[in-house]
Amino acid sequence: MKSYLQLKNEGGRVAIVGTGQTKFEARIPGMTYYELAFQAAKNALADANIEPGMIDSVVYGIYNDLFERQIMPDTYIHDYLGMYGKPGTRITTGGATGGYAFRAAYADVASGLSDIAMVVGVEKAQDCYDWAQGKTTPEVLKSIAYSADMTWEFPLGVSAASSYAVLASAHMKKYGTTEEQAAMVSVKNHGNALNNPFAQSPMRITVDDVMSSRIISYPFKLLDSSLYTEGAYVLIIMNEKKVREIGVKDPVWVKGIGSSNDKSFTGLRSSIDKLGKFGDIADLRNHYKAAEEAYRMAGISNPRKEIDVAELHDAFSFTEIQAYEAMGFCERGKGGLFVEEGTASMGGDLPVSPSGGLLGAGHAVGATGVMQIGEIANQIRHKAGRRQIEIRNNNGLAHSIGGPGSSYCTVTILGGN
Amino acid sequence: MRESTKKAKEVLGRELKSRPLESLIDDMILKKITGNPSVLESEKYFEVPDKMVMFYKYSYGQQSRFFKELKDNAALYGARCRKCGIVYFPPRAQCSECYSDTEWTPVSNEGVVVSSTTVWYTTSEFFDRTPYAVGYVRPTDANTAMLQRIDLKGREFIEPGEKVIAVFKRERFGTVSDFWYEIKE
Repeated sequence: MKSYLQLKNEGGRVAIVGTGQTKFEARIPGMTYYELAFQAAKNALADANIEPGMIDSVVYGIYNDLFERQIMPDTYIHDYLGMYGKPGTRITTGGATGGYAFRAAYADVASGLSDIAMVVGVEKAQDCYDWAQGKTTPEVLKSIAYSADMTWEFPLGVSAASSYAVLASAHMKKYGTTEEQAAMVSVKNHGNALNNPFAQSPMRITVDDVMSSRIISYPFKLLDSSLYTEGAYVLIIMNEKKVREIGVKDPVWVKGIGSSNDKSFTGLRSSIDKLGKFGDIADLRNHYKAAEEAYRMAGISNPRKEIDVAELHDAFSFTEIQAYEAMGFCERGKGGLFVEEGTASMGGDLPVSPSGGLLGAGHAVGATGVMQIGEIANQIRHKAGRRQIEIRNNNGLAHSIGGPGSSYCTVTILGGN
Repeated sequence: MRESTKKAKEVLGRELKSRPLESLIDDMILKKITGNPSVLESEKYFEVPDKMVMFYKYSYGQQSRFFKELKDNAALYGARCRKCGIVYFPPRAQCSECYSDTEWTPVSNEGVVVSSTTVWYTTSEFFDRTPYAVGYVRPTDANTAMLQRIDLKGREFIEPGEKVIAVFKRERFGTVSDFWYEIKE
C-alpha cells in the first residue's frame, strides 16, 4: 500500500471535486431508479462544473436487485446517463455498497485507467409490496432477508435487524453497554438531521421516546433502527493532474482507504482466528482492521485528536457505539460512555454523523455510503451549510458497513491538504 | 417448412405440463385489486402490480450428510479439519483456515449460547411465530457456533452463556429448522 504522503510527493493523489444528491425519502414513487440516478448525477456534474462527456468511467453502487425490480440495473442507468461507450461496473456489498463503490472508483482513477470517474449510489426500496397482507414493510424485509445464508440462516426467520442485534447483545454482555446509551445515539442523529434539508427523518426526540418505542429485535427498538429509504447520491472524483489542469479550487483529497471483510457466518468468529486480535462476536473486528489500514495510509496515529468529523454507519444505534471503539475514537468497551459524554454531538470534540446518519438522513442502501463520503467531503471544503463543523486538522472519516453480522467494512479518510 | 421451424413447433406442443405457478399468484393479486382498486395510484403517477418469483430444487452438495443425519437419525454432525483439528458447526467439507479436507464427526446436543436476539417483527412468512429467539449456539465439543432458534419458554430474552440442549421435530424434512434449542434446566 502506498501512503498518502508518498502519493502526494508523486502527484498521484485522487480528489473528490463534486457531490450531488436527491432528497432521501421513504418512497419516491414519481421517479424510477434511473431517473433518481440522473437527478443526482446532474447535480454532481454541475457542482464539479464538468460536462458528462468528460467522465471516463462510472461505478454504480446498488445493493439489491429485488428492490430495483431489475437484475443488472446498472446497465440501464449507464444508458440513461448517456455513458454508453464508457466502462461501467456495479458494486453490491450490502450496506457497504456505497463505500465499496467509492473504493472501486478510486482504484479506477489511482491506477491511471481513468482520469475522471463518477460514483453513482442509488436505491429504490418501497416498491416491494406484500399483496397478501396489503403492506409494504414485510416485503421490503423479505428482499433483505434473502441476503442471509439461504441454507443455514434464512429458514430460521432472520432479518437485517436480528443479524446486528446479536452483535449488540454480545457487546452489552461483554462491556456493559446499555440500551439508554444506544438511545442517545438515536436522539443525537435524529436531531442532527434537522439541519439537513435532504434528510428523511429529522426529529427532536428524547431517550424516553426511544426506550418506549416498540421492540423490533431485542435490544433494538423502532427508534434504534434506520428506516427504508429511496434516493441517489453521486460523487465526481479525478486525479491530481486533472485537478491542476482544470484548476479545481477546493479539491478534497482521498487520504486513506482501508477495507476488511469478516466471516459472514458470525458464529465462526473467535478470538483465536486470524482476526482474533481484534476480538470476538462482540467486536466489529473487520472495522478495527479497516480503520487500522486507513489510518496507516493516511499517516494518522491518534484518530481521537486528528479526526475533525466522522460519518459512522448507524443502521442501528448500537452499531455506532461499537464503531466508536473500532475507529479508535475511544477505548475498547467505552463506546457507550463516548456518546454519553457528548464528544460525538454537534459542538462536541469529535462530532459524528452531522448529516443525521442513517437514522436521521435515511438509509438508501446503495446511496448511503456515497452520501456519507459526500458529507465528509462537503464538511472538509466548508460546504456543509447549517451543519458545518469546525475543521481544524483537515481530516474527516466515513465508515461504510454491511452484510450479515456487518461482514463488510470500508473506511475512507478525506482531507483538504 | 424449414426443419428447424418444424422442431420448434413440436416443442411448443409439449412444453407446458400444467398451469404455470406465476399465473396462480396473478389471480390472487387480481382478486385483491378488484376488491380494492384504490390500492394502486393512477392520478399522481401510474402504478401497476408486479412480482419476481423463482422456484428451485437445490442440492446441499458436500454438506448433504448433515441434513441426512438430521432427518433420518435426529443427530447433529460437525466437521473436523484433518490437519488443524477445528470442529466446524455448521460443518463444511473443506477447512477455510488451512485448505485441508475435513471429516464428519458427531457433535453434542448440548451447547452454550454465544449471543442471541428476540425477534418481534419480521417478514410475513415467519410472523405467526413471533416473538422468537434466534442465537448462535456452540456445541460443547465444537469450536464454532451455529445460528438456531432457542425456545424462549416465556422469557423475553436468552442471555449469552446460557446452557442449552437440542430438541428435534418429530416430523423432519432435512432443513435447518428441523431442530431447535431449549434452556437446560
